[in-house]
Amino acid sequence: MATPAFTFTPSTFQKLHPAEFFRRFTTEGVRPDGRLLDSFRPTTVHHGVISTANGSAMVRIGGTTVVCGVKAEVAEPRLDAPDQGYLVPNVELSPMCSSKFRPGPPSEQAQAVSEAINRVLKESKVLDLKDLCIEEGKAVWVLYVDAVCVAYDGNIYDAALAAIMAALNNGTIKVSGGTAANDENSFKLKLARTPLSATFAIFDTTLTILADPNVTEETISDGQISITLDETGLLCGVTKIGAASCSQRVLKDCVQSAKKRTLQLRGIMNQL
Amino acid sequence: MAADRKRVAGPETSVAPLVEYPIDHQPWTPFTEKRHNSHRQPEDLRPIYLKTGLISEANGSAYIELEKTKLTCGVYGPRPIKRAGQGFSDRGTLNCEIKFATFSCVKRRGTMRDAQEKELSQILSQGLTPAVRLELFPKSNVDIYITVLESDGWGSCVAAAFTVASVALAHAGIEMLDLVAGCSASYVPTSIPSNSNSSSSSTTESSTGAGSTVTPQIFMDADLEEEKYQQGSIVLAYMPSLNQTTHVLQTGKAEGSIISQSVEHCVEACNKIFAVMNHALLESIDQKKL
Repeated sequence: MATPAFTFTPSTFQKLHPAEFFRRFTTEGVRPDGRLLDSFRPTTVHHGVISTANGSAMVRIGGTTVVCGVKAEVAEPRLDAPDQGYLVPNVELSPMCSSKFRPGPPSEQAQAVSEAINRVLKESKVLDLKDLCIEEGKAVWVLYVDAVCVAYDGNIYDAALAAIMAALNNGTIKVSGGTAANDENSFKLKLARTPLSATFAIFDTTLTILADPNVTEETISDGQISITLDETGLLCGVTKIGAASCSQRVLKDCVQSAKKRTLQLRGIMNQL
Repeated sequence: MAADRKRVAGPETSVAPLVEYPIDHQPWTPFTEKRHNSHRQPEDLRPIYLKTGLISEANGSAYIELEKTKLTCGVYGPRPIKRAGQGFSDRGTLNCEIKFATFSCVKRRGTMRDAQEKELSQILSQGLTPAVRLELFPKSNVDIYITVLESDGWGSCVAAAFTVASVALAHAGIEMLDLVAGCSASYVPTSIPSNSNSSSSSTTESSTGAGSTVTPQIFMDADLEEEKYQQGSIVLAYMPSLNQTTHVLQTGKAEGSIISQSVEHCVEACNKIFAVMNHALLESIDQKKL
């Protein structure tokens, strides 16, 4: 047999045909970074990293790093909800964290993630907004929860949600300085539940499901499923984006896998 | 201002809460001749933690931490200039953008880029441009993005931005004449000026007021509490191996002798910072070998 006239090095092959390069791995049951199809990247959570914030946390999932800080301010309540405070979550994908993002107003992806997290926090009633009331009809607390992506390597939703939950969890509103910590106007935020998520990438052609996609896997995947669960295992949200088809069985498998993952993530979050 | 419809909206206006202090609370003052919250001598810097390569998607990146001051920097490029109408340029350009995270300061910062951030970005690109060999990449642009995660003192934040940006540039493999180290110093009066017409002399205004002839102490790498008492400050960007200054930012009132003395102190400190920068870059080479 004649030798082929033209050969590639693996890195050239990866650049020319990223999807085919990837398929060769997944059919063998592994990924280019050495992970199995259903394994998540190493995750770390650090609490209280920013002293100027009322609550803060840093979450790393593989190469993705998100720092979240909670800032409490005082504002007038809405007319239709005079005894409720505000919870304002935002995710910032700055041009620093990846070349995908441009300076200026938030990208579509940032808006989508912010909105998705806002919905989860609101609909699953993570925080009783009545706890944030100072005086009905006059003043309430506003919690600005800003998650800044420091390094982007895929799966921003899981990382941002985990960072936001961890930051809210150690959030304290303090109105007295000095050493007197136990005065009546200062309080720790009480969370009704802690939703955490697990994200999977779907590949239509090979019918493979990959847990915790990194940035290259995200770009060549056909769609993504994010499953959000609280500590009792109740679903708080299921989001599927992209045109990939997804059978009932696949969805069930994802929920099972997400249950395991969120349990593990909760364990990481709770160890100080 | 039009409402920002691309973010999750909160109330139209909100104010930071006022913090109440107990009566027996004694805030730090420089009049005890001690530095705030540490056993530092006036000429001592805070310990520096510097690490490269935390942003996998960037060409070069670095993180710096001086106790509470925390900054990250990502460098992208050289990449071709995409915008039309800029014309041909035989030299590359350096684009600096610094952003304070909303939770980075005592008071919450806005999400939009404000005037202070624009000014700082300008200062940084002015101070870094002389060190970068821009003639090597015509028609291209190098983007330096810095995010301030936590700021404990304005001067130290600017100084740290210089340091972290030049380490990130080196990590990106962009050719430079030298690294740029940044250092800040504040002129803080350490005794209450004997000024007859101001009895409540603990405020900053009275210590800078007319007639006060107290020679201020130079506090290197001052933190936020110390900056509250400063008469003026200096930020120096310096190339240690070339022994050249790329940027001096002097604000406030001080005598010439104090300024030249603080420049000397800053140069000395920059040489120390240079050692830390070298160490961080050598470590990043070791990481690549593994």
